[in-house]
Amino acid sequence: MSAALTLSEHGRSALVLDRGVAPGGQIFRSVSTSPLPDRTALGPDYAAGAELVSAYTNSRAKHVAGADVWHIGEDGRILYSHEGTTKQVEAREILICPGAIERPMPIRGWTLPGVMTAGAAQVMLKSDAMVAENAVFAGSGPLLYLIVAQYLRLGVKVAGLVDTTPAENYLKAAPLLPAALGGFGLLRKGLALLSEIRRAGVPVYRNATDLAILGDQRAEGLVFTSDGRQEIKADTVFLHHGVLPNPNMTRALGLAHHWNEDQLAWHVTKDAFGQSSLPHVSVAGDGGGIVGADGARHEGTLAAMNVLTRLGHFASDQRDRLAKPRLAQLRRLARFRRFIDRLYQPRPALRLPQDSETVVCRCEEQRLSDLRQGFEEGARDPNALKSRTRCGMGPCQGRQCGPIVSGLLAKWQDLPVQDVGYYRLRSPQKLLSLEEFSQFQTVVPDEGGTK
Amino acid sequence: MFRSLRTDNPELVRVSVNGHAVEIASGQSVWSALALSGQTTTRKAALSGEDRSAYCAMGVCFECMVEIDGIPNQQACLRRVADGMTIATQTITETSVAK
Repeated sequence: MSAALTLSEHGRSALVLDRGVAPGGQIFRSVSTSPLPDRTALGPDYAAGAELVSAYTNSRAKHVAGADVWHIGEDGRILYSHEGTTKQVEAREILICPGAIERPMPIRGWTLPGVMTAGAAQVMLKSDAMVAENAVFAGSGPLLYLIVAQYLRLGVKVAGLVDTTPAENYLKAAPLLPAALGGFGLLRKGLALLSEIRRAGVPVYRNATDLAILGDQRAEGLVFTSDGRQEIKADTVFLHHGVLPNPNMTRALGLAHHWNEDQLAWHVTKDAFGQSSLPHVSVAGDGGGIVGADGARHEGTLAAMNVLTRLGHFASDQRDRLAKPRLAQLRRLARFRRFIDRLYQPRPALRLPQDSETVVCRCEEQRLSDLRQGFEEGARDPNALKSRTRCGMGPCQGRQCGPIVSGLLAKWQDLPVQDVGYYRLRSPQKLLSLEEFSQFQTVVPDEGGTK
Repeated sequence: MFRSLRTDNPELVRVSVNGHAVEIASGQSVWSALALSGQTTTRKAALSGEDRSAYCAMGVCFECMVEIDGIPNQQACLRRVADGMTIATQTITETSVAK
């Protein structure tokens, strides 16, 4: 939205292909059409998104809702599903904003019905005003505390908050605190959420380890260790320990990626303006590396400035002058982000499965023991393991198991994750019926920028 | 248990979930029709046939694939309800396809 606004301010239009039903992405989802009786319960940051959405809606950008992009070619050809047909458009400049997905937490029973992510709780609340009563929330990080606080403000009962943040992280993160104080407002918001949760009387368990879901057919609760073995009964368990860039679009396009050890995540390799290893392709927001909602807005604006320069709209020195305050803001946010990343760095035992029977690939039902066997039979990289075990071959195309598989292979070989690599992904990036593919239509973007 | 916090009087549409008539606010996700009617099994796992349900609710995990109007592999979290829609737990598994 920020990129489209910047282009619009300079008289250029953009075609925005949005998988969502309304502008706003995940963070500002449904902000202008909230089904909630009072959207202010979601906090001032959410409500403020309405301004951005409104400015965007009034810009020259052409928004296509429900456009599910499933192929981007190096040649600039984009294929997407829209209203049951396949549409094609050609672009000179492409900005990809795939956003974040939640880091998988492969604990025993995480495939049982009733186990969802904290992000799912957010989506259901924002889109459908739907909540789960008496649920357990487990994991760590700002998003987890935010959704618990939002539930409490809305009068929804919470059975417990199981905080898995390792006690030693507080010490490890402390040296980064002075540099992070530029983001003091953000820090204060986080602390306020935690005290709000405690004041509401929700049982909070600290430094939790050894998590497992209770139940055989469905989730019946969570067991864990925190000052001894604990058990909470619940029919819904929300898990969360951070977010990762959603890799499929940037991977399938063959952009260069690298492993970021601070975030324990694959990042898209890009310059300060988001330009990737393909010059006409830029990436902004969490999809390139986790920067948060504020960072994403700056990155979007910077990417648009660069695109304007590439299109000859203004010279690079003018771009650099305009970009300076944005880049400074991003640096300030990055210092805060480093602190958060260190503080909420997930426990290794929760990032990688510990129990040989734990499912890693949810689609093809491959367990840790299956992957270990594939490794012992000679599979040394994610693609070899995929061919041997079918892990990552299901409909989600490795979105859940991919980070786990890279991590396991690195651990087993005592290699850096960077050297192990990731799945080689291809289009289409979603399930596509032949019927849909047969109804093909070429879209020509309106260069004049009128709606 | 899932419940709705809506207090407005949204326009309702009538859908069928596994043969049960369900009234649901127009514009809501197909997943919400399943969840609010207590029928949370979206699909059977491809090999074991175990029950699965929505996990990420944002189109990433493909756990919520259901059959909509007879067409399988529809992500319930991304689709919106429409009046007269028929929604069913997806029962295609490797064994059922092989038969």
